[in-house]
Order: sequence, then structure tokens, then C-alpha cells
Amino acid sequence: MKINVFGSTISAMVCAGCLAETGNNVTLIGELHGDEAEPGLSKLLDSQISAKRLTVSDTLNSEAETHIIALGPDDCGEAKQIATLLKRHADPDSTIVVRSNFSIGIVDQIIDIAQLEYAINPDFASDGHQIASFTRPDRIIIGTHSKKIKDQLRRLYTPFNRNKDVIVEMSPASAELTKYATNAMLATRISLMNEMASIAENTGADIEEVRLGLGADKRIGRAYLYPGIGFGGDNFTRDLERIQRLLPHSSDNAGQSLLKSVITINDNQKELFFRKLWQHFDCNLEDKTIAIWGLGYKPNTTSVKSAASVALINAFAHQGCQLQLHDPFAMQESRKWIHKHLTPAEQRKVSFHEDMYAAAEGADALCVLIEYKAFWSPDIETLSEKMRSKIILDGRNLYNKPWLEDHEFTYYGVGR
Amino acid sequence: MKNFDAYSKLEELSLEAKQRHLAGLFNTDNDRFKKFNATMEGMVFDYSKQNITAEERNALLELAEQAELKAWIQKLLSGDKVNHTEGRAAGHTFLRDVNNPKPEVCNEWHKMEELVDRLHSKQLRGFSGKAITDVINIGVGGSDLGPLMITHALKGQRNVNAPELHFVSTLDGTQLQRLLKVLSAETTLFIVASKSFTTIDTLSLAKTAREWVEQHSQSEAGTMQHFVGVSTNVPKMQEWGILPDHQLQFWDWVGGRFSLWSAIGLTIAIQQGIAGFKAFLSGGHEMDVHFQEQPFENNIPVLLGLLGVWNINFLQVAGQAILPYDSRLKYLASYLEQLEMESNGKHTDREGGFVDYRTCPILWGEVGPNAQHAFYQLMHQGTERVMADFVLFATPAGKTERHKYHHNLNIANCLAQSRALMIGKTDQDTHKDYPGGQVSNTILLEKLDARHLGMLISLYEHKVFVQSVIWNINPFDQWGVELGKQIALEILEKIEQKDPSEFDASTQGILHSIWDINHEN
Repeated sequence: MKINVFGSTISAMVCAGCLAETGNNVTLIGELHGDEAEPGLSKLLDSQISAKRLTVSDTLNSEAETHIIALGPDDCGEAKQIATLLKRHADPDSTIVVRSNFSIGIVDQIIDIAQLEYAINPDFASDGHQIASFTRPDRIIIGTHSKKIKDQLRRLYTPFNRNKDVIVEMSPASAELTKYATNAMLATRISLMNEMASIAENTGADIEEVRLGLGADKRIGRAYLYPGIGFGGDNFTRDLERIQRLLPHSSDNAGQSLLKSVITINDNQKELFFRKLWQHFDCNLEDKTIAIWGLGYKPNTTSVKSAASVALINAFAHQGCQLQLHDPFAMQESRKWIHKHLTPAEQRKVSFHEDMYAAAEGADALCVLIEYKAFWSPDIETLSEKMRSKIILDGRNLYNKPWLEDHEFTYYGVGR
Repeated sequence: MKNFDAYSKLEELSLEAKQRHLAGLFNTDNDRFKKFNATMEGMVFDYSKQNITAEERNALLELAEQAELKAWIQKLLSGDKVNHTEGRAAGHTFLRDVNNPKPEVCNEWHKMEELVDRLHSKQLRGFSGKAITDVINIGVGGSDLGPLMITHALKGQRNVNAPELHFVSTLDGTQLQRLLKVLSAETTLFIVASKSFTTIDTLSLAKTAREWVEQHSQSEAGTMQHFVGVSTNVPKMQEWGILPDHQLQFWDWVGGRFSLWSAIGLTIAIQQGIAGFKAFLSGGHEMDVHFQEQPFENNIPVLLGLLGVWNINFLQVAGQAILPYDSRLKYLASYLEQLEMESNGKHTDREGGFVDYRTCPILWGEVGPNAQHAFYQLMHQGTERVMADFVLFATPAGKTERHKYHHNLNIANCLAQSRALMIGKTDQDTHKDYPGGQVSNTILLEKLDARHLGMLISLYEHKVFVQSVIWNINPFDQWGVELGKQIALEILEKIEQKDPSEFDASTQGILHSIWDINHEN
């Protein structure tokens, strides 16, 4: 099949690469960065380009039978320009498949312009597992009213749908909402676990034990039951903000909304370690030195968007703390954030450290915010020597509490 | 006052004035509005519905000259000790001199701004480290009414990051207990606002609040995160345990009922942001400049004050109604009750003699459209002669058609009432007879915002001062409130001792009845 794929996102590249690999003639209208962080992606793209099944171009193939839109979720303007191009140059019998996660309602506008039959086919993959998610998906959602597209996409996805049929057909509106509902459900599980964690702290329970017990129930399952110091990231945060706008107005349901609570709990959770240290030092954190390991919203990301680190840096800086920061990937983004949001006086109290132990030098407390691999088993002797007061706050419950207590550390986890 | 030549002149003129009907003044002069209004940027003051002629107005202006009002205004504004019984200046105008502020005033603005910023950025923390979400102002009189009135009026224009505001004042404690039931100790901040920091009303409530926080907080340091003090008495705030960053100061040259311009207005700054608070101050300052610079015949506070004197001392009008046609000004009347009656409700002159003329009238009021269904009956058909101030805003509160409709309905009602009170109506059926002839002013402001409220409040403050000069009384003390406080302490002691025998029979009888009901006799 001749296919146009629009977008410079990882999602666009993975889609173009995987579809080329299964024999399609794919034109990727976008830019390759050349150093794609997604595992296996560069190799896949190189091989398909040399096999001449994949062309990277700035013009579309006007003979394509389908046009896949995989732009970033905020690139609605660009999507409309593409729609205009398609109206002008595309075969009137060709179709549009939207994999981008636009705000609800945008797709209608695109179709109004392009005047082609269309489907919504959301991309559920998460960073780091994009290729596997495309080639061995849990589910393929096809949201369309068009019989032609249903047949077309079934054919296109046949190589990835062999083990059992994972295609779920529905209307476009349902497909759009399914994508949002997925993130809303995951967020709800996490906030619920965080609420349970705060109950655990008050009742002497250990949330890690509770998590294992809970996950053993097949109706519940083990995924997304990890308590922590809040979720972040571009997509998750954006989806929740967008879905909030679709919620009933504050005058409905007496202003109550589950998702609002989910977001509030999450926001509160990000400041958990501020509260622990605030109480530990009896409401006076002035000139305390706080070390933070893990600034991104998750391991191996450069993004600090909605990360717990920014909420904590903000809170500690306001109290006059010295901050010593370390992250293997996100230091540059963190630096930018700090430059934008802290006062010059506060900024002077912040330092960045390539070496994780250097960040802990002279610290009154160490906050570990993400489960980056190198953080799992730190050299406790070195930390003991370097830190001024031995307090560890473990945002992902990585450490064995008795082990740290044996080394005379004060340990604060989440819900234990 | 009676010694001035102008007084005799006015007394003579008043004989005729008392005989005529107010409506007649309009019948003979189509230009009456033009001749009897004064304006400043943002405000129109219409006093054409007063029972006054140009000659009478001139005599009133002459009375002001003879009372040396110009010199007194200068004394007030330059910081002379016009409050002679307490040996103090009355420096509220210095608090709002935004162009040329005193260094100590600036310093408190900075401290307020810092607190406001910490609240707005959710970085002011309670004992548990959670951000403050609710602020309760504990204060009474001047530490309550001004901020309550302004923040109620401007609620619709509040900063989106501002915490919720609550006010408690009464020493019976029920207002406070209701709030403590629904708020969280972790996230509630109390502003203890007391000029002396000894007022029992305020300090008893502050202690109840403190015990409530202590039930949840693990430490003294934690508890004290929840209290901000605003006072002239820094040692007392210190002794109470208020943290240095949480102590806001004003000075003995700021009267309690004039203190909303000082750090007592912290809740206004919290709600509006420091820029909004400064806009309020600027509005007040604009009126100060007007008061200082305008010739008396176009000086709104001077005219407002003198018209009151004309009505009270020459036309024997007995009451002053305050009728804002905007529900956002719900607390304006309560605020002015204190401002006017605590300032000028006095029978001793500056030299210590008793006056032989009437001073401040009884002042009361209500949001106009509500008052129409309450006490307007008395104003239209009762036996009391009263004067009224109608307060009206020219621009609607919102942009929709319905806003516009309600706005016009409101204007129509305001103008209908002042017209009906003025013109009256005769009828064969005596039950439907309206004598009319009730006098009123209409204060028309451009819109309801911080700046225009500042102008309005400053206007009334200066009106009070003008009248005090004519009546030769000190408007800045309040000895009248002391006796009751002192007796309350005596009675409280006797209640605890269960021995009221030294009091009058009424006091004894009521106490015994209370003890009977509680089975304590």
C-alpha cells in the first residue's frame, strides 16, 4: 500500500518504519533527528530507507491510498495545513488516519477541510517501548464510520494482529475518548494508591506490602499500583488537563469530580518530601542543604514537565534552602526551569552536579525522586561520610528501610 | 458654633426653609441639578435634592470659613496633633499617600507584599507543610468592619490565587466555632488584628484559635506558622509569640476606624494583590488631594459635611440613612455607623465644655433594594424627618443583556426612591398620602472597584472631619466606649465569684435568672 505519514514525532517515525518493514511504500513527511533516543528506531529507519520502502520527504506522495497524521498533540495548526494540502493534492478516494492525540474536536475541523473519509487510531505506546507496542499491540482501536477504512486498516495491521485479533472497532468520538480515558484511569490508580499510602503512614501499615496483596487480586492486577511522589510528564499532564475541561462545570455535582481529586492528590503528593522535611526540621528550613537525585519526571528522560522535582525545588527555594541537584539526563531542562522560575537570589543557592555523590556533599537530606538504575544501590558508606545529617527520602520506595536504619540513616519512604 | 455670625444668619434662613416644600425648589428652577452638584474624576455628587438655596449654601460656606475649616484641613493633612485628648495626630492620609509615602509606611507595604506573595504562590506553609488555603481575620471594630466591607465588595474581582477570606469579630465565639468546624487546622491562617493587642474580644478569640491549632500541631514553631499579628504594640505581639516575619505594624497616629488603609487592610491586599491594595489607597489619596485643593463650593467632602450640619442643626432632621444601590456594598452602612457615630457621637467640645447643639445623628442603612422592602415605609409616610445618601454606580457589573437589564432596573429604583421621597404625592385617601420633602444626596461613582471604593471611604472620613470642625469636637478619640468595657470586667469577676450583690437590681435579677436556667443557683 502507498502511505503518507505526517510528523516528526517518535510516533510518526515508528509508524513509518514499521509499516515500511512490512512491505508498504511509505513517504514520511517530516524530519529525522538522526539521534533518536527510542531503542532500535535508528536502525529500523536506516534499514527501510536503504531498502527504498521508506522515503523521507517534504512533499507528500499524491498517489498514496492513506495519510497517517502523527503530529505532536499541540500541532493543530500544522494539521490543518496538511488537511488543506490533502484537499488539493490527494486522491479523493484516499483516507486519513489520525494517530495524534489532539484536543477533542480538532479532528472534526481537519476533516471539514480535507473532505476525505477518516479514522481515529490512537497511539497508546509509551516512551522506550514504542516499536514493540506498534508491532505487538495490546489493542488496536479503530474509530471510524467508514467501511472502506476498516477494511484498509485491517489489511495494513494484519502483520501485527496475528496472535489474536486485538482490533476494537468503534466510532471516532469513542476512539478519542478511549485514549483520554486510558490516562485518566491510570492516573486514578496512582492517586488512589497515594491516598492509601498516606493512610498507611498513619496506621503503621507498609504500602509496599499492601500493593503486593492488592495486585494479587486478578480483578485489580499489578500494573500502575506504585505509590510515589506523583506522576508527571507532558502527555499525562496534558491529557488530564484537557479532560478536565470536558468535566461538568463546578456548579454540577456540587463541584465534586473524581478526576479533580485525582489531580489534587497528585499535586499534593509532589510536595510530600517538602512536608516531611518541614516537619523534621520543625518548620525552619532556612539554609538547609537539600540534595536531589532525579529531576526528570521519570528515569531516562530529559523532560522536567510536571515533575516532582520542580514542585520541590520551588518549595525548598522559597524557604531559603541550598539545593544540590543531580540527574543523568534532565539537568539542562532543570537549569532552564530554574532560570525561568526562581529569583536570582534563589538561583544562587542552586548547584548542579554530574556526580551523584558530589550532589550529596554536606547535605542535610537526600531526596531520591525517580527509579533511575544507578540510584537503586548507592554506596552507603560514601553517603554516610559526605552528608551532614543522614536523612534519605525515597520517592519510589527503592530502599530497604532496615538496611538504611542500620547505617544510622533516618528513612522516609512513601506510605511506609 | 453658635458664636459665629454665619450661625445666626443660617438660623434666620432656616425659618423660611422649614416652611417650604423641597419639590417647590425644582418647580422654580430647571437648572437645579447644574447648580447643586459637584464633581471630581470618577464621581458625581448631586445634592440638588437637599432643601437648600444658593443663599443658604453661601451662608454654610461662610460658616465653614468662620470655623477656620481651611486651617483645620491643613492641620489634619500636615500631621498636627488634632487628636488633642490623646495627644496624637490623625495620620490616616499619610497611609495612602502613594506618591510620597513615609519610609515606615513603605516598609510595612513591603512586608505585606511579601506575605501576600507567599500566600498567592502557595508557599506560606502551615505546621504540616501544606500551603495555606484559608485566612481568618480576627478583629473587632476598625480591625474588622473596614476590611470586611471592602473585601465583600470586591470579592468578584479577587486575585485567582488568593486564599478564601473569613472574618470573625464577636466575643461570644460562635462565628469562630462555625468556621473551625469546616476548616482544616493544617491550612488555615489567622490574622490577629488589634491596635493595642490587648482587646479582650480579639485576644480571647485568638486564644481559642491557637488552642485549636495546638490540638493538631506538634510544636510551638508549627503553631505559630498559623498566626499573623497586626498591631501598634510590637512587644505584645512578640510576647504572644507572633513570628517576626508575621508581625505587621501600624502606629498610634492611626485611629482604629481609620486603620483599613494600614496593615489592618492586609486582607484587602491578600484578596486584591498588593497592586489592588495600592489602587484602593490611590483612590483615597485622590480624595485627599481634592479635599485639600478644591474651593469649598466644589469640595465634595466639605459640601457633604456642611449639608449634614444644615439638616441636623437648622432643619432638625434626626436620622441619616445610607442606601447603596449595589448589594456588594452590604457592609457599607455598618462601616459608616462606626466611622460617623464613634467619631462625632459626642457632647463635649474641644475645650471640655458640653455642647448646646446636636452633633452626629443616628445613622443606619441597608442595601437600597432590600431597604425598600423594610424601612422605606417610615421614610415615605412616617413622622420622622430623615436625610439619605444614595450611592450608585454608573457601569453594570457584567456585560450580558441580563446584567444590563438588572443594572437599569436598579438605577430606576434608586432614582424613583429619591424622587418619590422628594416629591411626595397627595391623595384623597389619607392612607395613600405621601408628604414628600425628605432630603437626599446621590453619590454616583463610575464603577465599583478598589480605586472608587477608596474615594468613597475617604470622602466620608473627610465629611466626618468637616462636621467635627463645625461642631468643635475631637472626632478621633472614643472615650465613650471605655465605661462599658470596664463594667464588663467587674461583672465578669462577680459572675465568677457568684456574687452580684453590689450591682443594681436589674443586673442582679438577670444574672440570677441565667443561673436558674443553668441550675447554677
